[in-house]
Amino acid sequence: MTTGADTHCPYCALQCAMTLTSPAALTPAVQPGSDPVSEQSAADTPVALPLLTVAGRDFPTNRGGLCRKGWTSASLLNHTGRVTEPLLKGADGVHRPVSWDEALGRIVSAVKQARAEHGADAVGVFGGGGLTNEKAYQLGKFARLALGTSRIDYNGRFCMSSAAAAGMRAFGLDRGLPFPLADLDAASTILMLGSNVAETMPPFVQHLQGARDAGGLIVVDPRRSATAAFTSDGGGLHLQPLPGTDLALLLGISHAVIHEGLADAGYIADRTTGYEAAVRSVASFWPERVQSITGVPAGLIRETARRLADGAGKGGSYILTGRGVEQHVDGTDTATAAINLALLLGLPGSARSGYGTLTGQGNGQGGREHGQKADQLPGYRKITDPAARAHMAKVWGVPEALIPGPGLPAVELLKSLGQPDGVRCLFVHGANVAVSAPDANAVIAGLRSLDFLVVCDFFLSETAAEADLVLPVTQWAEEEGTLTNLEGRVLRRRRALTPPPGVRSELWIMTRLAEMLDAPSAFSEDPETVFEELRLASSGGLADYSGIDYAMLDRGEAAYWPYPAGSEGTPRLFLEAFAHAGGRAVFTAVTPRRRSVSSSSADRAGVGQSGTPMTLITGRLMEHYQSGAQTRRVAALAEAQPEARLQLHPAAAAAQGIADGDYVSISNERGVVSCRAELSTDIRPETVFLPFHFPELESANRLTESATDPISGMPEFKTSKVWIRLAVPGGAMCGDAVSVGAAGNRSGVPARVLQAEETS
Amino acid sequence: MTERIVVVGFGPVAARLIDELLPAVRSGIAHLTVIGDEPEAAYNRVLVADLGVGRTTPAALALADAAALVADGVDVRLGVRVRRVDRARQQVLLSDGTSPGYERLVFATGSRPVIPNLTGLNPDPAAPVLPPGVTALRDLRDASVLHSAVAGGKRVVVLGGGVLGLETALAAAEEGATVTVVHNGPHPLGRNIDRGGGSVLAASLRNCGVRVAGNARSVGVEHNAPDGGFSALLLDDGSAIDGDLLVLSCGVRPRTELAEGCGLSTAAGILVDHKLRAHHEPHIFAIGDCAEVRCPDPECVQCRTARGPSGLVGPGWRQAEWLADYLTLLASGASAEAEALPSLAAELPGVIVLKARGMNMAVAGDVSADPWDEEALTAGAVNGRARLQIAQWADPEHGRYVKMTTRAGVLEGLVSVGMPRTSAELVQLFERGAELPADRSLLLRLDGPDQAAAAGSADPGRTVCRCAGVSGTAIAAAASDGCGTVPEVSAATRAGTGCGGCHDDIKGIIEAHFQGAVA
Repeated sequence: MTTGADTHCPYCALQCAMTLTSPAALTPAVQPGSDPVSEQSAADTPVALPLLTVAGRDFPTNRGGLCRKGWTSASLLNHTGRVTEPLLKGADGVHRPVSWDEALGRIVSAVKQARAEHGADAVGVFGGGGLTNEKAYQLGKFARLALGTSRIDYNGRFCMSSAAAAGMRAFGLDRGLPFPLADLDAASTILMLGSNVAETMPPFVQHLQGARDAGGLIVVDPRRSATAAFTSDGGGLHLQPLPGTDLALLLGISHAVIHEGLADAGYIADRTTGYEAAVRSVASFWPERVQSITGVPAGLIRETARRLADGAGKGGSYILTGRGVEQHVDGTDTATAAINLALLLGLPGSARSGYGTLTGQGNGQGGREHGQKADQLPGYRKITDPAARAHMAKVWGVPEALIPGPGLPAVELLKSLGQPDGVRCLFVHGANVAVSAPDANAVIAGLRSLDFLVVCDFFLSETAAEADLVLPVTQWAEEEGTLTNLEGRVLRRRRALTPPPGVRSELWIMTRLAEMLDAPSAFSEDPETVFEELRLASSGGLADYSGIDYAMLDRGEAAYWPYPAGSEGTPRLFLEAFAHAGGRAVFTAVTPRRRSVSSSSADRAGVGQSGTPMTLITGRLMEHYQSGAQTRRVAALAEAQPEARLQLHPAAAAAQGIADGDYVSISNERGVVSCRAELSTDIRPETVFLPFHFPELESANRLTESATDPISGMPEFKTSKVWIRLAVPGGAMCGDAVSVGAAGNRSGVPARVLQAEETS
Repeated sequence: MTERIVVVGFGPVAARLIDELLPAVRSGIAHLTVIGDEPEAAYNRVLVADLGVGRTTPAALALADAAALVADGVDVRLGVRVRRVDRARQQVLLSDGTSPGYERLVFATGSRPVIPNLTGLNPDPAAPVLPPGVTALRDLRDASVLHSAVAGGKRVVVLGGGVLGLETALAAAEEGATVTVVHNGPHPLGRNIDRGGGSVLAASLRNCGVRVAGNARSVGVEHNAPDGGFSALLLDDGSAIDGDLLVLSCGVRPRTELAEGCGLSTAAGILVDHKLRAHHEPHIFAIGDCAEVRCPDPECVQCRTARGPSGLVGPGWRQAEWLADYLTLLASGASAEAEALPSLAAELPGVIVLKARGMNMAVAGDVSADPWDEEALTAGAVNGRARLQIAQWADPEHGRYVKMTTRAGVLEGLVSVGMPRTSAELVQLFERGAELPADRSLLLRLDGPDQAAAAGSADPGRTVCRCAGVSGTAIAAAASDGCGTVPEVSAATRAGTGCGGCHDDIKGIIEAHFQGAVA
């Protein structure tokens, strides 16, 4: 039987279109009724032939292009390490297969016990931005109706919540890109802040070509990233600020716009409110002062302002933000400053200019709209809004009082694990918090203190390894559903392959558990049935999907939300009006928060350390995705990027006697990371970079802080103070910074070596 | 009980204090009165020169909104002067006839321009009245005088080679005025800059179209214009510099007369301790340009080396923030916590970054020593303290000059002219007190064209397609296997199947292969 499907890539929010086909010559190794690939037989043929071939498919976003991650994605379908049966952890700590009946029975008794002993909020759910809309929607419903808990949030809190909060307060609506991606093609000027698309979503780069040709690509990044390198040779400008000073930089650019008379006065008068306060808020950020704060020359700040204004009058100007400027304790204010700049120039809501934030995870957009967030109900409704609650109660057919109130945002949720009034029993879906959450050592300790941990995954990820019960679930090529890409366009994921027999979809798991827990309302394992309910649930909400159905998506129609029934959807938002009552966009005056004079956290951080601290920033490599749970298992990708490397400037390295390729330890009061150094002049001398895809001793998030933005609850990932030392392989560290507060890292031996020993 | 706080002065520093006190006002624990003698609420004085040359608008300079403050419950008095402070009754007597009482009084009176002693000027230090065609550059009215001269393409003479004078001169020249800067000493910026930096600076000013008259001692002002206004600045060598407008930029002096009048101690400014309190007067504070932090304790190490008011706005803003915290704690009755608040850290020497579009210059700290000046370099090196070290780069032909004065690798002074990236990096290294890279030349190369160049394009083994991770070698191999077009190479190797940015490179490799075959 030849199978195949037009679908989209399993990884990032660009959701590149791809076609999966099963070559006639290849018989799928796993067919219904046949035995799943067992660990023993697979060990004989370590590199199984992929079950499917992947081909790029023409689509407005990727235009047939795929990156290495997409090309190699099929190799995980029959990967030898795939979990294909429920695994229960024994008293000896070893996971052993159990039947689905036993697995579900264990869960039900764990949930009932936690509820009886500690109340309904002792059960928590941690979701993911990679789940389909159907799964995300039903997961929120499952948490609130079947588990009766308010304690649900998801890993998108680490990515999108600051830009989302900023978008809501400025526009009354948050959709990552409020315009189709292809609109960028004609732009004369594109300002990209804290986003490295050349590595994170390579096919995106096609849409920057027009701006590069016009000399108008402006990249703000403390590193000369692959994206920043596009600005050389006349492509544009690279602004290389000190980490954590983006807000001041944006205020400086806005200052230049106002004081050089570049603002769009007509637009400001007709379409915005709050302009005067915004003007006052930037009056004290003249470019020379901002230069002293950021290290970006005043001339470049002014030039950026001029090019943005100039571009708006030509092919268009766009301002795009990414995690680099958003993942800070002032991330919401920084995104707001970017939006204010865009509003001054009259960009948002015009036909050929705009502001957008680049969503990261595969369904980072849809995943934040349908009830996975602690404070939201489906359709981007506020859980505290009585009308929203009444609407959902009606759709679900339950009394309104049955819907719990707001829960805890992700970082707080994780901090509560195992605490007396915290979560005792946790479900994790599509997330690998042991690697991806800030202050990862503390998160792992939290996971270990739970009474019961259930993880749904297709591999024994670092989080699954901690689980009492691991439930094997379907991969992208084995399931139907929808995702919403970074432009707010709803896409169909289609099944090309039958899943291994022991594997279930999360919809099935939730449906069974809901039955066993006597949950009210209806749950379904059929994606289209769930989507039909999602349509009703989202109807009238900000993210209204009520006019979208599978049939129209299967016809290839471009469905951008909001898409109320009877409408034609909304490729471009805000052309007529913004979503606030009155239709105007709102300037919110923001200013860098000063450090309280009574706090001396900088001194505390230095306890037990000597020498100069460096600023750690984190990010992605092209070959890996998120925590690397999938991509580290793809041979071609692991071969290209087998390990974490600390990028640091040769001048900083020389001061510590570190040569390219040396093992170094990177430490602070939260933990220690051990990996090789990679010397590069592409990074600022006081800044170091670690990719966050790697676990254990190479896990960057052992060093990051769980401090959060007060508005969005999003953590500070990008300005951790660390100390760097040369490490002697197999021995003690040089210097005096050994294992400060580090759990289980005393050797200084690189993680790669440890892992090899453990698995061989 | 509501604590009554009266702020005298409504400039940028007062505005910051008021902003920070607003939560206490809104919560009702403090009642705030602010008295400004200008008719406008606070605006950004730093940008008055920009306004004077027509580059910005008064609205864009605003730092406070009087109406919004009133709505928040602040008593805002604009265009009102304080006649006298009655410390015994804790009252201020105002020109509007009222006399509000206070528990805490904050002087934020700022400074006023120094009017030089020249014949033809009649400098009354308390209320200077300048003849037509002569202006200082401090407030919005001064700016409008300058603006009409610049807009009319007039000849502007700037007296004073300080940073404000230079900025005014550069901006006015760029906007079309004919400008001469007159300063004494061998180069502009006097003691702030060293000889090398000053010389390159003067040359750069000339390149920007500003005439520079150095070593000039001015003695008088000539009024022969048709309207009886300014016509020339007279020098002591008998020469004259003709012009239509004379801008006085000879520094500022703290406004302390009100404080002196009520018996407070003053030196250059109003003397305050480390909690910004006037000496021996716990109800009165001073911040910003009018304040001089120097505590009454003669043993205080910090105060032994203290400088007078810096004339820069940054330190004033930090004082305002600190004082707001302190006053808020006092108002809320938490006097123990207020006293426990750590004192404000001593200010670093001020950083001067020239605000100009056509040229770039930054100066900070003490830069007087030269690399071979052994005596100056070792002077402070006692008790194990490291000696000063100097690294220097001079390229007068191209208008570039850098000096880094360091102790134990940390900047104590810097000069950077004509090197924007270097200047930006040095200034933030100075402000953070961070150690410089041992190879100081790194900091000189930031502006070099080599910094942005793509590396290694000649290496055949380099990765050509980053998206698919395909090397040049692999593409060349595909070409030798017969792939003659980009799509064929893509099909064989996946190179060029991601972002497509490498298509030209692939084409080049294919062409090189087939040319090689022909040759």
